[in-house]
Amino acid sequence: MKTGTEKRVLEVSDLKYSYEKGHQVLKGVTFDVNAGENIGLIGANGVGKSTLLKLLVGLDLHFEGTIHVSGHSMSRDSLTHIREHIGYVFQDSDSQLFMSTVEEDVAFGPRNYDMSETDVEKRVADALERVHITNLRKKQVYKLSGGEKKLAAIAAILAMEPDLILMDEPSVALDPRNRRNLISVLGEIPGTKLIASHDLDFIVKTCSRTILMYDGVVRADGPTKDILENAQLLEECGL
Amino acid sequence: MNTIENNLHTIDKLSELQQRDLWMNKLHPLTRLLSSVIYIVLVASFDKYDIVHLAIMAVYPFFCFMVGELSLKDGLYRMRVVLPLVLAVGLPNPFFDRQVLIMAGSFAITGGMVSMVVLMIKGLFTVLALYVLIATSSVEDICYALRCLHVPKTIVIVVLLIGRYIYMLGSEASRITTAYRLRAPRQKGIHYKAWGTLVGQWLIRSMDRAQVVYESMCLRGFRGDFPESKRGVRLNDVLYTLVWALVLGALRFTGAVELIGQLFVA
Repeated sequence: MKTGTEKRVLEVSDLKYSYEKGHQVLKGVTFDVNAGENIGLIGANGVGKSTLLKLLVGLDLHFEGTIHVSGHSMSRDSLTHIREHIGYVFQDSDSQLFMSTVEEDVAFGPRNYDMSETDVEKRVADALERVHITNLRKKQVYKLSGGEKKLAAIAAILAMEPDLILMDEPSVALDPRNRRNLISVLGEIPGTKLIASHDLDFIVKTCSRTILMYDGVVRADGPTKDILENAQLLEECGL
Repeated sequence: MNTIENNLHTIDKLSELQQRDLWMNKLHPLTRLLSSVIYIVLVASFDKYDIVHLAIMAVYPFFCFMVGELSLKDGLYRMRVVLPLVLAVGLPNPFFDRQVLIMAGSFAITGGMVSMVVLMIKGLFTVLALYVLIATSSVEDICYALRCLHVPKTIVIVVLLIGRYIYMLGSEASRITTAYRLRAPRQKGIHYKAWGTLVGQWLIRSMDRAQVVYESMCLRGFRGDFPESKRGVRLNDVLYTLVWALVLGALRFTGAVELIGQLFVA
């Protein structure tokens, strides 16, 4: 239950987006996210989940409607500031990790924001500790397993200490053990998370609130249990 | 493993060498770059017949291979693409320079033969010195050294990004060719009719991945520069460059070789 005193980290209002004329992917998405919430974003293939996440981090600014991140309205001028507050874990960790070692990759974000080496060092150590991969610190990125890459990608985002973390299909291509490990790690990480996934079981275990998208709009928004137990609703939405 | 996978494997192996916790790998990147450049310039500066003085310059790669715990065999194997080209540069010399320098019995050794060998040795030493540099320094190290030398930022970033993307291009090419081979098991190589499609696919996929990498960089504050932690220059970094500059300079410009020779004779 939301109250007026909760800090709002994300406000999306009547968001519309088209890849090309006549093919509108998002047709007026409205929702908000309060600090500390773990929210699942579910919906069938092609419903616009990944597109929505990309708009939320300003990778495409050709949208209609409004997006506010930590009180800042999304625009070209505010991008740098917004990206300090919002982290995005890509579906493909292989492409997200581009530095040679885990340590260098995790330090990339903090260094870009002109932090002192002492602070960078501390951020890197904390982030690696949080996802339990301190032992991989010096390891070369190409040598990591799929599960390790995912954790390293999350650490790289955590090092920036964002107000909100967006994750696109984090459990994809993980074996059961790595998936369980990821669920446990996400449970330990404090902060606000918005997780887009098809993996409904994963959403049940990581998110207390769920947003169900269908046909370019938010079809349902509420407690995860209520939404995922509504078989008729899920079926209507192609899940 | 196909050729692309082999090449990716070579990159992985070089990367492993660069990450080793050895004294030589811990030297300041600028020290490693400057020593290599000084060596290459001095080697290239020898006279075309000065085979004796040139031969003693083997001391630098010999030292680096020993201290850097590098395998000469692996080094020569990994540089096998460049080596034949470098060694072939002097091949026409015996045909153009027929001036007899020495008579070995009834066999006349011409200036062309000597200059051909000198060119080959120069090429070999240069390639070995470069191998030492890339086996002990990552792309980041080399770019850091370039930045220390005030090479324009744009050039350094381009070098760095090429280093990043080359592995990605290779892995995409490997995926595509593997997928092709698995569905065309009786074919040797790739049929020429599929070349266009495969190259097109390769470029499109690589561009897509490059876009994701770029987006990922932007989302973590990339503003056209790769910030690096500042690495201090220590006394042994300065001494290393200085000692090598003096030793190599002495071997090149003074009669040190004759002196060493006389000592042995005495």
